[in-house]
Amino acid sequence: MPEKLSPFHIAILVYMTQSGIVIFTLPRSLADYFGTNGWLVIIPCLLLSSFNIYLINLVFRLGKGRSIFEIMEQSVPKGILYPFYVCLTAVWLVFGCMIGKKYVLLFQMLAFPTTNPMLFKLAIDVLAFMMLIKGIYKMSNAVTLFFWMTIWMFGLLLWFFPSFRWARFTPFILHGGHDQVKGAVEVYAAYLGYELSILLFPYVNKSKGKKSMAAIYAGNVFLSFVYICLSLICFGFFGPGQLKKLLYPVLDLLAYIQLPFIERLENLLYGFFLFLVLVTVVMYWWAAQLTIQRIVPKMKTPVLLVILLGISYCISFVPKTLDQVNVWITNLGYAVTGIAFVLPLLLIMILLIQRKGGASHV
Amino acid sequence: MSLMAQNPLSLGHILEEFDQCADLNHRSYPEVEIDVLYFSHSVDSVLFMREIQEPFSKTRLDEVDRLLQQSQFTPAKDPKQVVIGILEGNVGVFHRGMVYLLDVFSPETRGVQQSETETIIAGPHDAFVESALTNISLVRGRLKSPHLKIRKYAVGEVSKTAVYLLYIKDIANPKFVDDMERRIQTIETDALNDGGMLTQFIEDMPNSVFPQFLTTERPDVIASKLAAGRVVAIVDNSPTAVSAPAAFFEFFSSPDDYYQRWALGTALRLLRYMALLITITFTALYVSVTTFHYEMIPEALLRTLAESRNRVPFPPVYEALLMEIMIELLREAGARLPTKIGQTIGIVGGIVIGQAAVQAGLTSNVLIIAVASSAIASFVIPSYMMSASIRLIRFGIIILTGVWGNMGLVMGIAAVVIHLSGLTSLGTSYVIPVAPMKSGDWKDVFIRAPFSMLRTRPSQSATSNRVKQTNRK
Repeated sequence: MPEKLSPFHIAILVYMTQSGIVIFTLPRSLADYFGTNGWLVIIPCLLLSSFNIYLINLVFRLGKGRSIFEIMEQSVPKGILYPFYVCLTAVWLVFGCMIGKKYVLLFQMLAFPTTNPMLFKLAIDVLAFMMLIKGIYKMSNAVTLFFWMTIWMFGLLLWFFPSFRWARFTPFILHGGHDQVKGAVEVYAAYLGYELSILLFPYVNKSKGKKSMAAIYAGNVFLSFVYICLSLICFGFFGPGQLKKLLYPVLDLLAYIQLPFIERLENLLYGFFLFLVLVTVVMYWWAAQLTIQRIVPKMKTPVLLVILLGISYCISFVPKTLDQVNVWITNLGYAVTGIAFVLPLLLIMILLIQRKGGASHV
Repeated sequence: MSLMAQNPLSLGHILEEFDQCADLNHRSYPEVEIDVLYFSHSVDSVLFMREIQEPFSKTRLDEVDRLLQQSQFTPAKDPKQVVIGILEGNVGVFHRGMVYLLDVFSPETRGVQQSETETIIAGPHDAFVESALTNISLVRGRLKSPHLKIRKYAVGEVSKTAVYLLYIKDIANPKFVDDMERRIQTIETDALNDGGMLTQFIEDMPNSVFPQFLTTERPDVIASKLAAGRVVAIVDNSPTAVSAPAAFFEFFSSPDDYYQRWALGTALRLLRYMALLITITFTALYVSVTTFHYEMIPEALLRTLAESRNRVPFPPVYEALLMEIMIELLREAGARLPTKIGQTIGIVGGIVIGQAAVQAGLTSNVLIIAVASSAIASFVIPSYMMSASIRLIRFGIIILTGVWGNMGLVMGIAAVVIHLSGLTSLGTSYVIPVAPMKSGDWKDVFIRAPFSMLRTRPSQSATSNRVKQTNRK
């Protein structure tokens, strides 16, 4: 019997999938779109994502832990389902791909301006392939190790305490922002990743179902805690005015850290964010692989992965600049957010119909 | 052909099997119609005298049958059993078409001495030797329990090496015992010479650089592994015992941790994890910083580093690889040479690398510090197998940093972590107790908590008998 994911690993998976490249820009987005004390926006985002997790939880309970594909295939004809699967695969595959590309372009901007970014991208794709080939259980092991290898960086925030000033928060709340709706969607994108937990149902230990579902909330709450702490430090260190002007405030923040034997650590620390980005990318690609596997169940997983990663690698050649990648990520972010809400709602509807059909049949 | 010669158990038939075996002894006692076959170097001469020589010299013919009824004489059913029995150190006693085997096996072996590869400061100093039975006696001496069970297998088409599987009934998980048994029985080879060789036949992923079973020469370590619910294999003619399942972090603990006060044990264990970090990153960081990221060096150090690098004509990655290879050559030469010459090699090599290479402009002072720290740190890791694996992967990481700087370093570490996460030992996770997360085990993995807190056996043993120490006051 294959091993099941424990609630702890589910929480770590959710947190690690959610946190990624967006962490570099989040404080600026909060300050820019929402103005003074923009960090408060994280709280409604937490509530909204928690509601979405509640919907996922409902699917788990109504479906009695069955795979979402099984649920759909039981009631929806394949003619409708397969195009839907292709769409889901495409969105998840390209979204993961663009996250990887953005990370590479940012790194290139920092350290290797003359190197072809697609070489770095290839290396990241190889790492992702190494992870994906092992299956979700071993992937979760790697994710847990990555978690411990990155969480210590959270302690670096203490470095900024001496320069932290409450006065920089100002007594005003959400003053000086603009385009709040666009900003809300952009900030909410920082939470994306939790929705993939809907695919974890078959790998959850049924006897620990409640705890496993609670773990998804826990991962989401922990992410919010990290975001709030980071944003508070950024607001208290830079102030909202300066934050608006910084493109990547977290990178600028890291640049202030100096140790006796080594300084300008941001370059090395940025490298550690690879672990977070890798997990996000891998989880989206894993979702894409699972989905497309329903259409071609007989194809061997390594072959399928090579094809999927090959396609995504080719697509990543299209956007050349960071701005273009940002546009792709924003647009795909809308699609992923839509999927995050629509997919559980759709499944709940199907499950209710199935239940009604079953009841009337009885 | 006589009726006697047709008998497969006849002396002639068995002697034919041992044709051209100059070391085989054949002795006859015609008065009592007894012939004995044995390898003199395998049998205990005192026992032979007492059990064979004296009785058969003094007994009358009509008393022989009664003598051979004694339980120490095992009647053999077929010639194969006789041949194997004699090869294993038994004396074959031939009498009127019947063959009896008498176990007087006692080969000349090395005495129990200190382990040279796993030295400790406090605690017992005895180590395994080449005789499996001596090794088992060393373990039995530590675990005086009838629950310590031992199964025996013969491995190797030609060598028929005895492999003993040890476990404690009611503590070891029967699934692991059966799994080990199955793996040992499926080994197909001509000769099995060592415990290290055994692991490569039965490991989950033999192509990985990392050892998935713990090998040790120390009976105290094996006794503690057995008590922890693990399964142990002892190979005859090898001082290396194998314990399974094993985890990556297990290779960083030394018996010394338990023989010293817990605070000291904890400090040493943490030091070893620091050593792991230093081994993997130091030289790689030097390459990364001096090739791509000079901005990481504080201004005060920058001038020294620049001066040091000034005379070196090669890119840092070549310089680092050259020095790392030199260190490995020195280590290998030191290991292969007799101790006294080995020390000389160390000193000469140290001078050549430490001073001459810098003066000749082949390398910088700072790199010498980095390489030396990295090499010393690798020797801090108690398991030689693990230490060698980590030294090997270090080369890959250095090359990656030579190409991509800090990003190469992080990518290298990520690749290692992904690889480790995929490994299993007897089907259990190799990176337990971090993943799967077993926080209860951390107190005996990352630190060495006081014994009052170490009350449970490791989760990896998957034992139904987890509590090893009750709360007695």
